[in-house]
Amino acid sequence: MSEALEAQQRLQAVARDPRAYLEQWRQAHPGGKVIGALPMNFPREIAYAAGVLPVIVQDDQKPVTEGRALLAEFYCGYTRNLADQAATGRFDMYDALFMADHCIQLIGSADIVRAVTPQPVFFGMLISSLSDSWAGAKIAEMMGEFRSELERFSGRTIEDHELRASIVAYNKDRQLLRRIFDDRSAGSAVHSPTQLQDYVVSSMVMDPVEHHRLLEAAVSEPASRDRDARVRVHLSGHLCHAPRRELLEVIEDSGALVVDDDLYTGRRYLSTDVDESLDPLDAIGKWYAQRNVNIPCPTRVQHDADWDEYLVEATRSSGAEAVIHLMPKFCEPHMLFYPELRKSLEAAGIPQLLIETEHEGIPLEAFRTRVEALVELTLRKRPVHV
Amino acid sequence: MTRRVLGVDLGSTTAKAVVVDEAGAILASSTVAMGAVSRAGMHRCIDEAVGRAGIEVGDVSGTISTGYGRKLVPGIQRSYTEITCHARGVAAMVPGVRLIVDIGGQDSKAITVDKDGLVVDFAMNDRCASGTGRFYEVLARAIEIELPELGPLAMRGSQDLEVSSMCATFAETEIVSLMAQDMRVEDIASSVHRAIAGRTLALVAQVGRRTPVVMTGGVARNPAAVHFLSRALDHEVLVPEQPQISGAYGAALLAMESFLRTSPPVPDVPGADFIFPRVDHTAAGHSCAGCDGHLRGKVELGAAIPLRSS
Amino acid sequence: MTTTTTTTPARDQTNRLTMTRTGSKMIADYWEDLFVARENGKKIVWYNGGALNPMFQAAGLAWCHGEAFAARLAAQQLEGPAQLAGAEYGYNSELCSYSRTHLGCAVLTVQGSDDPQTGVVGLHDRVDLASKLPSPDFFVNNYAGCSTGQQWDEVSFRIFGKDLPIFNISHPFLWGNKPDAGYLRGEEWDSASQYVRGQLVELIDFMETQTGEPFDYDKLNESMTYIKRAAELRQEGLELCKAKPAPATFWDWIACIAPINFLPGDQALVDYFQGVKDEIQHRVDNGISGIENEKYRLYFDGIMNWNKLGFLSRRFAEHGAAVLAGRYIQNAFWQEPQLIDTSDPLLGMAQHYLLCPTNHGSKTLDYLTLKDTADYDIDGLVFHATRTCRAFTGPQRLLAKSARDNLGVPSIFFEGDVADASFYKDEILESRLVAMLEAIDVARERGDHKVAGSGAEVAWPS
Repeated sequence: MSEALEAQQRLQAVARDPRAYLEQWRQAHPGGKVIGALPMNFPREIAYAAGVLPVIVQDDQKPVTEGRALLAEFYCGYTRNLADQAATGRFDMYDALFMADHCIQLIGSADIVRAVTPQPVFFGMLISSLSDSWAGAKIAEMMGEFRSELERFSGRTIEDHELRASIVAYNKDRQLLRRIFDDRSAGSAVHSPTQLQDYVVSSMVMDPVEHHRLLEAAVSEPASRDRDARVRVHLSGHLCHAPRRELLEVIEDSGALVVDDDLYTGRRYLSTDVDESLDPLDAIGKWYAQRNVNIPCPTRVQHDADWDEYLVEATRSSGAEAVIHLMPKFCEPHMLFYPELRKSLEAAGIPQLLIETEHEGIPLEAFRTRVEALVELTLRKRPVHV
Repeated sequence: MTRRVLGVDLGSTTAKAVVVDEAGAILASSTVAMGAVSRAGMHRCIDEAVGRAGIEVGDVSGTISTGYGRKLVPGIQRSYTEITCHARGVAAMVPGVRLIVDIGGQDSKAITVDKDGLVVDFAMNDRCASGTGRFYEVLARAIEIELPELGPLAMRGSQDLEVSSMCATFAETEIVSLMAQDMRVEDIASSVHRAIAGRTLALVAQVGRRTPVVMTGGVARNPAAVHFLSRALDHEVLVPEQPQISGAYGAALLAMESFLRTSPPVPDVPGADFIFPRVDHTAAGHSCAGCDGHLRGKVELGAAIPLRSS
Repeated sequence: MTTTTTTTPARDQTNRLTMTRTGSKMIADYWEDLFVARENGKKIVWYNGGALNPMFQAAGLAWCHGEAFAARLAAQQLEGPAQLAGAEYGYNSELCSYSRTHLGCAVLTVQGSDDPQTGVVGLHDRVDLASKLPSPDFFVNNYAGCSTGQQWDEVSFRIFGKDLPIFNISHPFLWGNKPDAGYLRGEEWDSASQYVRGQLVELIDFMETQTGEPFDYDKLNESMTYIKRAAELRQEGLELCKAKPAPATFWDWIACIAPINFLPGDQALVDYFQGVKDEIQHRVDNGISGIENEKYRLYFDGIMNWNKLGFLSRRFAEHGAAVLAGRYIQNAFWQEPQLIDTSDPLLGMAQHYLLCPTNHGSKTLDYLTLKDTADYDIDGLVFHATRTCRAFTGPQRLLAKSARDNLGVPSIFFEGDVADASFYKDEILESRLVAMLEAIDVARERGDHKVAGSGAEVAWPS
């Protein structure tokens, strides 16, 4: 097996089974601590600088069983899955949980986790109203709190040089991932959406240095594949967790070709680096604020950052002919902002399709019909070459 | 000899087939109730339609299929989704149509079309069965009448009762409880129809109300469903003579257009413009079926972990 | 004509406070004034979340609380056109029904009656709703606890073309990280209180810019003096409801929410709550109860199902179930008036905004729920799993389990919603309620005593 293929398979394995990776990591790092970081904005750099492995908690695709008794069925699939992971002991792979975001459903599930698991759950709420004149100061204050809390948790002081090294490690990994996404939006069809998702998810789980090394190997063999004649689509949504792989497969199997996205397990996660020239903690604060400028998120309130404008612009630069909105059922920020997206895309003449996704029991055949209908109506917009 | 093409709409509960001539005129059609998607039902339907047109299956110059079972139909040139086919068929049946409300056995959709009969936007019900043919079946069973009697019964209702649950699972208990209070079945039936029309309105809201409005699908044969939708939309709702066959008719028209090349050729697009094989669509969507297969650790069903009191 | 029938209880066995009719009149007058506020030369602010009305009153503004308007439409069964307009604009029916009702109003207000032919909402409803709710001059968001609240006003801002000023107040969620964390105490509480107070000072600057007038601090102190007094009277009235049988019920207090939540702080408000308290005192003195034949004392957790208020009150009374307390009453709406310093009210106001019943971690909610369950000698808890309100519903399963484990008090859940009647399933409530009451009967016959009882001590969890 080639080194590249081997690396690709390793990344896929980690993405699809973080637990196995963590067991290996613990064996290699006796006494090492692992924290689960809830999406979307927890600064992993601070934890890594303290020698702690920060893992972004993934939706693990198991059906919800005992979690059903803890969280209402009208919570989103991701948060119900979190409650279920906690209720069935699956959080035992973390030594603590950290959370930085104020989504009410995430808070609801974190409250369940706190009640049913022995691990401490630290919630430092990053200000989400980013147009306020005091936002910068509040962000800096919270980053300081994360630093102290992680020092307390790890039992050691986090030195600035460690923070800098951590920032460099994550930046480097993100930059490589971003290059792959840039290639895709520029016309390369080498990587399937599930493959890219595996690359990003594995980076959310792994040590960044190790991940970078594997990813470099994974993409080391020159390969090129141009887009075929399928309808070029941009996937938008899924702000805090991965869409099901089978759904991505069905989309590409129904006449559509994914050329770009703004998914959390895609471009949204990779959008921004931490400025290495600044004071490291300040830089991390600015990274948080800048992420919402680079790819605006409806969970933040920033009056001059427009997801809808971003989306229209993104389709122009990637050549996407249509947009598929992947909206997790019950995701309130997405439900609130969707009409703004729809309006802007309509005004720009870009066909679109809304798909409500669920944690389990996705009606794939019904989705296939919808995607095919989108493909049919988009094809008619193509110029006819006689 | 003039060419004939076939359109087949294999839906969730019925199969529909239409044979058209070169001018797009319907030569024959057939509708076969299957109960569930069945190959035998489909073949019977195709044979009936072809027989009524006075030809043999071998005389058919081209076939296009649509509907949930579209990949089961043999010998097709290609298939289109029911969205595209309904739009095409209804636009031919009712020239000038702008909004189509199609209510079938297990789904309901609202489709807006442009002046050429091309789809502008569409919305479909989610997995919830409220507002679909299935829901009317539940109602008919709960009030113990046959389905065809439902519409005329509902038209006789006069009182507007509140039906709080539109969930198909709970509707039956809801209806039974109304009956237990000695509410007239006519009023119950009309109230449920009104409530379903309200649900449909929410579907229409997603694509925008346009006129003229045409209702198709099996439910369009229920006069009360049409009446209450019309009231909800505050506009006349047109129903084609054969509301069930619009998808098959649209498929047949697309087949003829494709055959005669009167419309722009569709680019050769793998994955969309091809004959869908029945099973081997790359196993997409079946790679993990809800589980990663190799996830280890104690993650199975177990005793509930007690809540900590502190 | 619509006859609401969902298995209507046989005979109304409630004995509602007569004073709440006065409240209804005050509320109706308030809205009528708001609908013509622009004609009367007032600037109009749309806001959501905590009760900022004394600030607006002092700034000479007219104020419209989005949730309150949505709740009012629902209570009057008038929410349909606004919700359909929202659906047409693209809002999913699983979205917070307060927000999609209010956003639907915003859409109608912006669109006016320009394009009635393409809408699903009829021309009449469109014009009616659009002309009623005056468009805002600016927005203020003051939402604690629920992230959707903040995002909702941001979307309103966008529906109005991003042209109007908007001010956001951020509220730290009272999670309880620190070892000294507790209800109304600890470093987290103190720092959050000061942070929100600081933002209220910024809000005053913002309002001065919007109105072009200096802020009237004396007016604020005066308004808050009335509100504090009204809140004290409300607390005294609630205290009286611990009597057996209960002189008034949760439903009476629900009817008192609007006055305490957004009416101006003035003598009329104090008089109203004095009237409520006097009526309750009179009932206590004369052994008059809030429902006929009180057999069970229940707690109601969940935000209100506004379409079903009268219906639910009769439904419970029919079974001899007095609903006495609930998170939405005991733990909301100026519920800690001692925190308000009427000569410098900003800190106490900030603290009340933080005390939104959805802004606590479950540990605090558990403490508050158990305490009320014990104080009111509650026999069972009813959880209104509020379909589109994730904030209120999140901790409910934990609270139910805790009440059972710690106090031996049973619970039921039923689903409904704040402003969307379609989520309510009457058969489920009816069968589960009866089952719980039967279980309580059986426990009583067997002599099983719940741990709770008037005066039981509930300690802060260690």
